Formats: sequence, structure tokens, C-alpha cells
Amino acid sequence: MRDLIFVGYLAAIMLLAFKRPFLFTLIYAYIDIVSPQRLSYFLLNSIPLSLVMFALAFLGFLVSDDKKDVRVAPRWVLLLVLLAYCGYTTTVAAEPLAALEKWNWVWKALVFAAFLPLTLHKKLRIEALVLTMVLCASALIVTGGIKTATGGGGYGALVILIDDNSGLFEGSIISCVAITIIPLILWLAKHGTIFRPSWMVRGYAAALIFACLLIPVGTQARTGIVCIAVLGILLLRHARYRMLYLGAVALVGLAAMPFLPSTFTQRADTIKDYKADESASTRIAVWAWTWEYVKEHPMGGGFDVYRQNRIRYDIAQKADSDEVISVDMPAVKEVVDEGRAFHSSYFEMLGEQGFPGLLIWLMIQLGGVWRMEVLQRLYRKRNREDEGWVAPLANALQNAQIIYLVGSLFVGIAFQAFFFMLTALQIGLDTYLARRRKEAAWRPVKSVREKPLESTT
Amino acid sequence: MLRGSGAAGSMIDNLSILLSHGLLAWALWVLANRSEVDEEAPPAPDAEPTGFAIKRPNRKDAPGA
Repeated sequence: MRDLIFVGYLAAIMLLAFKRPFLFTLIYAYIDIVSPQRLSYFLLNSIPLSLVMFALAFLGFLVSDDKKDVRVAPRWVLLLVLLAYCGYTTTVAAEPLAALEKWNWVWKALVFAAFLPLTLHKKLRIEALVLTMVLCASALIVTGGIKTATGGGGYGALVILIDDNSGLFEGSIISCVAITIIPLILWLAKHGTIFRPSWMVRGYAAALIFACLLIPVGTQARTGIVCIAVLGILLLRHARYRMLYLGAVALVGLAAMPFLPSTFTQRADTIKDYKADESASTRIAVWAWTWEYVKEHPMGGGFDVYRQNRIRYDIAQKADSDEVISVDMPAVKEVVDEGRAFHSSYFEMLGEQGFPGLLIWLMIQLGGVWRMEVLQRLYRKRNREDEGWVAPLANALQNAQIIYLVGSLFVGIAFQAFFFMLTALQIGLDTYLARRRKEAAWRPVKSVREKPLESTT
Repeated sequence: MLRGSGAAGSMIDNLSILLSHGLLAWALWVLANRSEVDEEAPPAPDAEPTGFAIKRPNRKDAPGA
């Protein structure tokens, strides 16, 4: 039954897209984020849905888009360089089969990220992509939020739509995504034109933000807790009444404490007690291994090179409160592990793509933070009524990027398509605004010369 | 134990899918009927022209010259 509904739904939205082919691009983004083929049982599984939709989106761009408005930015070129470089490292990968498997989805994410800015040359298109990303993520976040609110969650135990630990369905990744989109939800609720600001829109936005904040509680992913803290600091920057904001945050935080499940607070406590935490110790050992590896292989080992690691580390012994502490119990326990994932996007890039890959990736990411800063400063200074939406959007995209970059410290999400879409949005906004500024500033010399004469007559 | 995988969990999943997909379909419907997706009016000219069109004040006319 669910299969038939999904097929019917896709057919209906595709019909709409034949009227405006840009919608195929949005539908591709939907398929990429929600993966309806994974939610269904047989019908959608049997067709290469992403490929068909990307072909339609590209065809729509070729046939119906006005190419004279298309612009590219340096970061767009860097995306292509990263794509080519990842292609090269895949051919010389230390783990050829695993590398090929990862390459098969990474290249699609990068190609789509490079394609998106070419289509984002209208303000409404930029807003439409922001809304699509938020609504698609909400398919996972709403269910996770309600389940957390009604029955608690648990580390690795909260099922979000499907019992699958990959892509956005993984606890740490959805926690990071949920907090990343909060600035975008706030922008949509205030400046949206597809769903114009009203009490209903504001109410839904508030409920969705609440669900987003519940995701780290439900999944008990510590990355999410760190991301919430970063969001709190970032929102302080443009808060009108900072003391009031700080007071409200402290009050909400304190009021929420008793309602948090004890397993959540225990897990959050391990952030400061990292020496006795196996997960944290593994990370540090893997990062040390990665550093040693790239010293010998500065060009990286290709995708999934972590499979080669064999790590040995000590963790502090921690007795339970009801356990009788033995005098003979050693202070530290030696743990041996192998094939542990990077658990950090920075080390993922470093280990897999080496120093060149990490440098390109950092230039793309930090370039985004910098460009969004430039844009919001410029547009606050311009202060034109018709451009009132620009600085808040640049600020929201910058905040989203910073949250992602901090979350990335502890999760290997360097190639997640969702975050590349965020980069594509920034590039699209940047090139769109550059063109519009040029158009607004352009004044034929003739008309400027004639003006004084007109004023005297 | 996996939370949210029982009958109640399935109901919550379906509600979430319905809500998000319904809103997305609504947004796509709105977009399909808005011409600004493909066409946009040129921006209003800047009050102060920039670039080559800037009319810089003449130094001779400056106060105190």
C-alpha cells in the first residue's frame, strides 16, 4: 500500500514539474534526502529513481532555462576539482572495492552540488530549495521528535522511519542535520514567500524547531548536544536583547533538565569524562593513526582507507557505583581494535584524500563562511527595502555552515549530499546577488549626463 | 531494544511522512503556479550609481577650495 502511495505521489509531483522543469531539481533533492525508494518495499526499489530524476532535471535545465543568467564562482570550480581529485584517488585507492562503493554515491553528491548553482538564478528558486531541504529533513525529524517526546529514545535505539544506520537515518548525522536547519527554519518563517509568514507558519516552524532540538535527545548523539551549544552562541550575535536571550536560554535549559531521560544526561556527561569513554578513546586513536598514515601517504589512501587501521589504546577503568572496587583492578584497560571509521570529517578528508583533498574541502567550507559574512555585511550596509531578505539568509546559511563544521569534528560527514546542497545554496545565492548588484548599479552614461539638463528645464 | 518500531511507531512514521510530503506537494503546487520561478523583474536601480556611472564631486567646487 505504502509503495502505491509513493508511486502516485511521485507521479503527481512529476506532472507539476513538467509545467516548470526547475521542479525536477527540487524533486531530485527530495529523493536524495528522503530516499523514498528505501521507505518502499518493491516498486520504487526496482527503478534507478535518482538517475531518472537527475536526467530530467538536467534536461529541463538544458531545454527551458535562460542560460544568460547562469554564473559560476571560484568555489564552484573547487567542487569540480574535488570531484576530479576524488576520482583520481579512487583509481589508486588502498582499499579498491570499498573505495569504489563509496565513490559510487560521492560523485553523484558532488555532481548535483555543482549542478545546483547553475539553476539557482532566481530569488524564488533559492527560497524553494531552502524550503525543500527543510521539509525533506522534517520527514525524518518530525517522527524522531514525536517518538522522543512520547517514549524517549536511546543511543542507537531510536528508529527514524527505517531501521537503517546509513545516510541521514544514522543518529549522529540526523542530529547534526536537525540543528543545522534551525537557522533556515527561522529564516523561512520570517521571509518566506511560498508559505508567507502567518500564525500558522510561525506555529509550525516553532514545533519543527522543538522537534529538531529533541533529535539529539532521542538519538543521544553527543554531536547534537555540541551543535545545540554552537547554535545558542551563534544566535546571540544578532539577538536584539542579548541579556533577555541569555536569560531565556538558561531558563529553558533548566526547565528541560528534569524531563530529559537519565540515559541522555549520563551520556552527555561522558563528554567531559572522555578518558574513560571507549568511543572517545577510539576516536583519538584513529585520528593518531590517520596522522601517521598521511605522513607516509600525503596524497591520501582513497575512500574507506580506515579499514586498514589496527589501533591499540588504553582507557581509564571506571567502576559502577554499586560495584565493589577490587584492589587488583588496574587503573587502565588496554583495548585493541581494527577497521574503525574516522569519526571526523576533517580526518576523513585527510586520510582518504590526503593534504590536497583536505585543503580543497576546507577552502570550499571556510570560503562559504567567509562569503556569507561578506554578503551579510554588504547587504546590511546597502539597506534596500527589496533586499531585506538577503542579509538574514546569508546569516542563516553561515550559521548552518558553522554548526556543520563543528559537528563535523566528531562525525564523518564530509561527503554527505545534504551539506553539499548547503554549499550549492551559498554559491547560488552569491552568484545571483553579484548579478543583481551589477544590474541595479548599471546606468547608461547617457542618462546620467542628461539628468542635470532635465532638472533645469 | 529498538524504540518506535512497533504499531505506534509506524503510525507516527506515517503521520510524519504525510505531513512533510503534504507540505512539499503544496509548496511544489504553489511554485508551479508562480512565474517568478522562471522570470524575474530587473532590480530597481541603485539610488547612487556605482562604477563608471559615479558622478564624483569636482574638486574645484569643494567647500574651502
